[in-house]
Amino acid sequence: MENIESITSPLRIFYMAVWRNLLTLTRYKVNFLLSVVTSVLWAAGMLLFSLAFDSSMLGRTVGTTNYVAFIIFGISFQSWQGTALWGASGMLQGELSTGQIDYTFTCPFSRYQYIISNIAALAIQDSLFFIPMFSVGLWLTSATLTIHGLLLGLASIVISVAALVQFGVIFAALTLRYRQVTAVFSFFNFIIQMLSGMFIPLQILPVPLQIIGFSIPVTFGMDLLRHYVMGTFTIFNPMYEWIALIVQLAIFSLVAKLVVSYLEGKAKEEGLHYI
Amino acid sequence: MEEIVCDRIFKDYKGKTIVRALDNIDLKVSRGEFFGLLGPNGAGKTTLVRILVTLLKASGGCAWVGGYDVNKDEKKIREIIGYAGQDSERSAYFRLSVRENLLYFAHALRGVPKKIAKDRIEYIASGIGFENKLDRHFVSLSGGEKQAVIVMRAILHNPEVCFLDEPSKSLDPITARRVRRFLKDYARENGITICLTTHNMLEVEEVCDRIAFINHGKLIFVGTPPEFKRRASIREIIEISTNKLESELKLKLLKAHGVINVTYQGNITKLYCEDAFNTLPEVLNVMREIGLKAPVRIAEPSLEDAFVFFVNGGESNGEY
Repeated sequence: MENIESITSPLRIFYMAVWRNLLTLTRYKVNFLLSVVTSVLWAAGMLLFSLAFDSSMLGRTVGTTNYVAFIIFGISFQSWQGTALWGASGMLQGELSTGQIDYTFTCPFSRYQYIISNIAALAIQDSLFFIPMFSVGLWLTSATLTIHGLLLGLASIVISVAALVQFGVIFAALTLRYRQVTAVFSFFNFIIQMLSGMFIPLQILPVPLQIIGFSIPVTFGMDLLRHYVMGTFTIFNPMYEWIALIVQLAIFSLVAKLVVSYLEGKAKEEGLHYI
Repeated sequence: MEEIVCDRIFKDYKGKTIVRALDNIDLKVSRGEFFGLLGPNGAGKTTLVRILVTLLKASGGCAWVGGYDVNKDEKKIREIIGYAGQDSERSAYFRLSVRENLLYFAHALRGVPKKIAKDRIEYIASGIGFENKLDRHFVSLSGGEKQAVIVMRAILHNPEVCFLDEPSKSLDPITARRVRRFLKDYARENGITICLTTHNMLEVEEVCDRIAFINHGKLIFVGTPPEFKRRASIREIIEISTNKLESELKLKLLKAHGVINVTYQGNITKLYCEDAFNTLPEVLNVMREIGLKAPVRIAEPSLEDAFVFFVNGGESNGEY
């Protein structure tokens, strides 16, 4: 008699694994939708990226042809972007899976404070990766660097990272709410990379994309840093960008608090398994 | 003075259907008491504890911990409680040592000054025989050892009220005994009220001043462990040491005069009766009729018997 098991088992494992993965992928609809959208956006992003290699265009839009320094200062923000997108949510998911969240949520501080403290701690840790990258950027721009410019650039980084930390709280809450969020993060990762001026000057983007870029917490921080250190043109008057940074920080803080408070309320109604 | 008060607390979980997890619980626990919450799985014990530690919101009724309202004074309650949740033996930082973990939780999350926290870690660890494991990484501990750390964490900041949800679940009997004896002494010395949920009847007998029994979300009994046994031991027990109980025999035994219920635990068949001494001859007749030769004795009901009795609704349902 034919040994059916030995013939069908690997195939069965394969198609059941495909079925399992599809089930997981489509069960979390936001994640599924954004995974499709992100792949399309990457193609469009690469198209925009190619424009940035035109050094004359870079010179016209931001006032420098030093693309290497331009991109190094952009990339130096990447570590904090990781903190905002992955750090806090990873920490909370870890606490959920080990059950530690039960303990921490019975401790006498607000959940918002707990999350923000942990993200801030991660941001400090990630600054260790920022420093070497930033140092290379400074070396490349030593001709235009002044102490005054450096201090103002660092100040813009501090506010920008503070806003990004609030962004991280919102993301942490989203993670807890939607559980399966890899594609959601990839989507926002792409948006931040392409529309904040990290790799491509914001000025060369179509206006609707620029408007999205203005709402990203690192956009003005990065723009001001490059302006003070490299002497680039700013998108708006620097004073307006400082105000925008502070307003962003205030708005993101408020939204982050509201999101955590909403999540906390839901979790108390339905149990922590809700998040 | 009451440390925990529940006034008609109920909790509904809303889904496709509404599930009532707790049903009008009235409960009072005095300051310094070692209080046990008993009940079968899914009875509502953990839900009640989670409401009291402010992790869950009750659907109705009121509750106070240390005089603070669980709905209005969450922060105050969190300041005075300690908590070790169910299945929380993984809930610490794996790559930190036990000492580092406890220091972090006590100092960062509970505000205990570092020096005091360090001293307490030493004191509590030596009390439960853990002093040699303080510098081991949390990940390298066994499940039971991890659970012991979680219990240590719950009392490190000398809470006014400590909630322990099945604290001895994965502890070996020796560690479990050491932990509960230490807890009992530590709670008495520091005036800590302890509320624990457990299925371990030995634990209940050894440390609990009073217990509450919850089943299907309802409070069935509140009193001391001896009272709990007495309440159930209105029935007396005849034990037949046999692991073979045919349904025919079971039916015949149930029909015997004075037998209220027949249950089966381990290799023992237990007959609950009003008067074991008078029922015994009839039981022996039934055994003789069907040719069953097995040791028989009249037994003192244990706390576990009382537990089973209450889980079965305290009535004859003829089920094992």
